[in-house]
Amino acid sequence: MSYLSFFLCLKYLRRRKIVFLSIAAVAMSCALLITVASLFTGFINAVENGVGEHMGDIVIAAPSGTKISGYDKLIDDLAAHPLIDGATAVLESQGLLHLPNGNVRAVRIWGIELPRRTQVSPVEEFLINPTPEGRSPSFALDTDGGELGGFVGIGVVAKPDDRTDEYDIAGVRSEFLGHKVTLTTGTVVDTASISAGAESASSGARFKRKTLKFSIANVVYSGMYEFDRNFVFLPISMLSEKLYPDRGNVAGMIQIRLSEAGQDKPIDEVVKEVEENVWLPFAKGRFNWARYAKVESSKKMQARLIAEYKKQMAMLMLIFGVVSGGVVILIFCIFYLIVMTKQKDIAIVKSCGLGSGAVATMFVLFGFAVGAAGSALGVGLGCLVTKNVNTVEQWISMALGLKIWKSSTYMFSRIPNEVDWTSVVWIVAAAVVAAGVGALIPAIAAARLKPVEILRYE
Amino acid sequence: MYKLKLAIRYFLRRRITSLAVVAVALCVFIVVVVMTVMNGLVTEFRSKNHNFVGDCVISTDSLVGFPYYAEFIAELDKQNFVAATSGAIRSFGLLTQPNAEWNLGVEIMGINAADHIGATGFAKTLHYHALDPENVFIPSYNPTLAGCVVGIDLMPSQRNHSGEYYHNPNPPSYKLIISCFPLTPRGGLAKAGTDLVNTLSFSYSDDTQSGLVKVDGRVIYVSFEYAQKMCGMSGETPRISAIYVKFADGAALDESCDKVRQMWRDFVEANKTRRQAFLLENVSVQSWIENRRSTIGPMEKEQTMLTLLFAMLGIITVFVIFVVFYMIISHKSKDIGILRSIGVPGRGVVELFTWFAVIVGAIGAGIGAAAGCGVLVKANNIEDWLFATFGFQIWDRSIYAIGDIPNKIELHVLAVIILSAIAASVVGALVPSIQAARKRPADALQVNSL
Repeated sequence: MSYLSFFLCLKYLRRRKIVFLSIAAVAMSCALLITVASLFTGFINAVENGVGEHMGDIVIAAPSGTKISGYDKLIDDLAAHPLIDGATAVLESQGLLHLPNGNVRAVRIWGIELPRRTQVSPVEEFLINPTPEGRSPSFALDTDGGELGGFVGIGVVAKPDDRTDEYDIAGVRSEFLGHKVTLTTGTVVDTASISAGAESASSGARFKRKTLKFSIANVVYSGMYEFDRNFVFLPISMLSEKLYPDRGNVAGMIQIRLSEAGQDKPIDEVVKEVEENVWLPFAKGRFNWARYAKVESSKKMQARLIAEYKKQMAMLMLIFGVVSGGVVILIFCIFYLIVMTKQKDIAIVKSCGLGSGAVATMFVLFGFAVGAAGSALGVGLGCLVTKNVNTVEQWISMALGLKIWKSSTYMFSRIPNEVDWTSVVWIVAAAVVAAGVGALIPAIAAARLKPVEILRYE
Repeated sequence: MYKLKLAIRYFLRRRITSLAVVAVALCVFIVVVVMTVMNGLVTEFRSKNHNFVGDCVISTDSLVGFPYYAEFIAELDKQNFVAATSGAIRSFGLLTQPNAEWNLGVEIMGINAADHIGATGFAKTLHYHALDPENVFIPSYNPTLAGCVVGIDLMPSQRNHSGEYYHNPNPPSYKLIISCFPLTPRGGLAKAGTDLVNTLSFSYSDDTQSGLVKVDGRVIYVSFEYAQKMCGMSGETPRISAIYVKFADGAALDESCDKVRQMWRDFVEANKTRRQAFLLENVSVQSWIENRRSTIGPMEKEQTMLTLLFAMLGIITVFVIFVVFYMIISHKSKDIGILRSIGVPGRGVVELFTWFAVIVGAIGAGIGAAAGCGVLVKANNIEDWLFATFGFQIWDRSIYAIGDIPNKIELHVLAVIILSAIAASVVGALVPSIQAARKRPADALQVNSL
């Protein structure tokens, strides 16, 4: 029976070219769903990983208005923990960066530690002027390391080209590296007497301007728009001294990178371990707000947004899945057509002793085969498009002058192009089952054919 | 006439036709629902952007601004096609509160409330001063204080599941300290040698909910005079950053923008020898669509991409119709043979099956569109029920600046979808119809063909 089924399936496949239509439809649906699922999943992963790359795996954040002083001891304690690879302190502030020609930009300022930060974030990969081999990235403006500068995000000093969405890196290098800029931030000293209704702008102001003039030592281009567009990085010592001159080095948060052992454990357990066995023993007695500090994984910080992205992806897949349901109807029609036009063949094989169940099985198997062939083609096509999506996008951009992917809109400068194999497995399984379902009723119709009636010559 | 009659007869007699109808209906249903929602989102977003800037924007990217604006505004106000104008200061500043240790970089917008509500949709975005928007900078709890209007997402406020913000019955009384950095006309920092910036304390007066994330999350409105002073734009030759223009009812957007552009060119030419005239050269005149292109463009692109994806999936429906017609025509060779033998030309056969395809497409599209409209009308009720029962929302309103699901059925969108579905049906039926038309009566009526 199996040989006969195989022979007939092969014959129908060769003779009935319309079957290729169903294969093409399955392939097209699969390719589309795989591409959409891969791009969406890639985007979600990129958001999760991108934030992790900059923030570390776990963050200890001091409550608003408080700072972590004497953090070196805490970082040593963290680094000694077997679940942790490294930790680094960050002092956050906001300010205005004054570039030449009246160009003022609102920026977020991070005071960071170099080279310690390299244990948490691949800083050296983000710098447009690569660090010489064997040396760690630093804020030093000269080889002696005497004068310290700062890093600025590439989007702070330049705009990507409207058409290509690419930065003129050579231009940024020549125009900004080594150039002095002015960063203004500040603290409020006394505000009791200033009021717009009462006094002139400059007479009684108690907002203490803290101006930092520094040279741009390097430019950060991480490919993550939010960081490239809004951030200025300074030595934490420089920022602490300016903002909190009487308090020594202070930090607003400690970012932690987990070791492989730490990453293998459930993240909630590691967070609890860090909080109870490292943070609280360090903070108790030093800070009365110790219990109010937020110890959280960077993934959890993004959890609501990620959940929302996943929901949007599920909605999109559902919509495309429902439309792809047309494939079931298509396969039904094609198989019904085959059954109707091949009644004599079916009658002959039945009169040779093939049972109704075997005939039905043959058609259902044929349906599965169409599903498998279509989905195999679809997987190939979907992978091809996904892997080359940046090239395809560039090509569309050049041909039509239409830039589909912009980092300012979609956060990243490149479209994530990793195939999501989990989705591929589900889509292929759904396609094969859908093809089988489409073939089911024609298979039953074929099984119920009576050879006597079909082969009668009247 | 026989073509239509036969087409109707085939449609009623051949049950397999219902599959083609189902395929068309399914596709139309999804497309109607998704495209209506997407179209609604884009339209709403465009409208919010339009409200934010008015019809035409005369502005410069440089924070230094441009001078002689009052003369140009006076010229604009004389034109019949201009209904209102509003000069504005746009700059960056640092926001903080008394005794707070935080600073927040914000965008400062200095406006004359009475002018701005005439030129833009600013009044619609206010809460406490919705009825007296011209007094928006006067805090109701103490009219002697200088008030400010804060982007709603800068406030520590909460939204309910419908995306509506909670408001106290009366505006809360608190102070906000805003520091700006005065710039010289050449772009240098004014007062660079001193330790002080232009800092003023304002009292919260109202909040603004424009529905634009980048506006609601970072813009603070203050009165024009204070902003101009804080940014160093007052003085002998005062400057501003932008002029917002609203055109009179019935004035065509592009045509009116062209007129303003020409007026600006003439103005620059007439003033080219005056002090700081070089700043006039950086000014551009844009329609609201051009001005907000970078914001609206991506959303419109997404809509186009979605349309393309649906068009690709629509091909499957074309395939279904092709197969169904192929089956029907292969079973109707006798009819075709008879028709041809009584003198019906090949074109007539094609027309017969084209009518048949039109009927399939129209009925399928009609069913799909009716089901889609039904779902759309109840879309918000369905979402409310899903939220009440399962806690599920299509968009989490605490994250997205979206209110109700847009469900206004646009007749032109509906018409395009239905016509596309009918066209797809005709395309699907075309090849089998031509094959049928090419059949010779002698071949079609042979006993072994029947």
